[in-house]
Amino acid sequence: MTEKEIQTIDEIEPGRLLPETDALRSAGWRLVQVLCISSPGGSELSYSFGRGLAMKSLRFRALPDDEVPSITSIYPAAFLYENEIRDLFGLRIERIGADWLGKVYDVASGPTGGGGPFSKVTITGPRSEGGTI
Amino acid sequence: MSSGHEAREANAPSVIPFGPQHPVLPEPLHFDLLLQDEKVVGAVPQIGYIHRGLELLVEKRDYADYVHVAERICGICSFMHGMGYCEAVEGLLGVAVPDRARFLRTFWCELERAHSHLMWMGLAADAFGFESLFMATWRARELIIDVAEETAGGRVIFGSAIVGGVSKDPSDETLMRCMEALKPARDDIKKLSRVMLQDATVRHRLEGVGVISKEKAYELGAVGPMLRASGYDFDIRRRGYAAYGEVGFETALETAGDCMARAAIRIKEIEQSFSIMEQVVAKMPAGPVSLPIKGMPPVGECFARLEQPRGEVIYYVKSNGSRNLERFRVRTPTFANVPAMVEAMRGASLADVPTIILTIDPCISCTER
Repeated sequence: MTEKEIQTIDEIEPGRLLPETDALRSAGWRLVQVLCISSPGGSELSYSFGRGLAMKSLRFRALPDDEVPSITSIYPAAFLYENEIRDLFGLRIERIGADWLGKVYDVASGPTGGGGPFSKVTITGPRSEGGTI
Repeated sequence: MSSGHEAREANAPSVIPFGPQHPVLPEPLHFDLLLQDEKVVGAVPQIGYIHRGLELLVEKRDYADYVHVAERICGICSFMHGMGYCEAVEGLLGVAVPDRARFLRTFWCELERAHSHLMWMGLAADAFGFESLFMATWRARELIIDVAEETAGGRVIFGSAIVGGVSKDPSDETLMRCMEALKPARDDIKKLSRVMLQDATVRHRLEGVGVISKEKAYELGAVGPMLRASGYDFDIRRRGYAAYGEVGFETALETAGDCMARAAIRIKEIEQSFSIMEQVVAKMPAGPVSLPIKGMPPVGECFARLEQPRGEVIYYVKSNGSRNLERFRVRTPTFANVPAMVEAMRGASLADVPTIILTIDPCISCTER
């Protein structure tokens, strides 16, 4: 098996995250990491799953004000990745199973609830607090 | 106040803070332990006390120089962090390092795994009050660190990983002499391992404690000895990176999923590391140890996956075509093991919590990269 066959990245529509994730879990894949890359226009999220030596990633773009659904209802262990991304990148992630409410790193938002220290998103106006229980 | 309300109050779990400063924790990690009497019914982990933002620093440093930062993510797996970063960048550049560099990388990886597991064994012995085992273990570890210094030049930060190969080239004679020098340590470790696995007091503290099933360990994303101690056969060295495709080794496996099984896995892996180092030295090819790397990395991205002492680590690099990478990310094994660690505590007694945390061998320095 070549490295390209071992590691695949599929671009998906944001709305397909939960059904695609659910299908992977049913097929025996487990969550191995969630990666966020920030740019002025928004964030790119890659959810990687492993089965044996193979790794498959689902990728989509989230705009600054998009609310990203949590996958903790499918993979409970995702709570750590999602809390971290919300704190460091200021991304809104909805309904995290174990929600630390921005206290993983305690650096997430300024008084107006802007992006985190790793965020490159351009904030044009005040934002509400991200995340809900 | 009604008696029903009082009864509910009496049954509510007590919250006991554990850490961030605790005698068994060399690094800060906090748990809110939810207790019914002495039994843990839940735990809420808290990290983030020493986060350093090293991933963000990649945007400010030349991609070739950043190896020095990557090596400093952790003082225990320093070489592997540097090498993992290099493997990811080399994937981006589309270069294959020379054979001798692949073998030397494997040698240093296994040297690091052996000293990391010995460090863990000493810390675990210290945690349950077996001071003489702690000191004897660390004395044996010192010989391994001496070999690191002789072959790579550094005792903590090896400083020998570079993009395109390695920067140090110990002679074949030096490597053979080092393997001879490791023999007393190897003999001592066999004796110490018998104490760790057979002593009645140690078994009393570790057997049947912090059990996690094979299914739960897999589902919660556990990696390394945490996963293999529950019976799941997964070791990313099977991918054959560096020279792992050219040496023989059996994946260390246990099935009990308790603290003792995790200890047994690490002890098996120490001997396995010596065996791999022996094979590497015997098969060491001649030739250069690095390739000249010139120019900028092309636009693109690459994942690299290695087996560190604590489990699989995933590196990611993304380049925009300049000398500074756009993104570097490390998914460390301890980060992946936190959910399984919480699960292993469920149902344990409060007195066993420090032992359970230690048998996960958490590295907070890696986690707070």
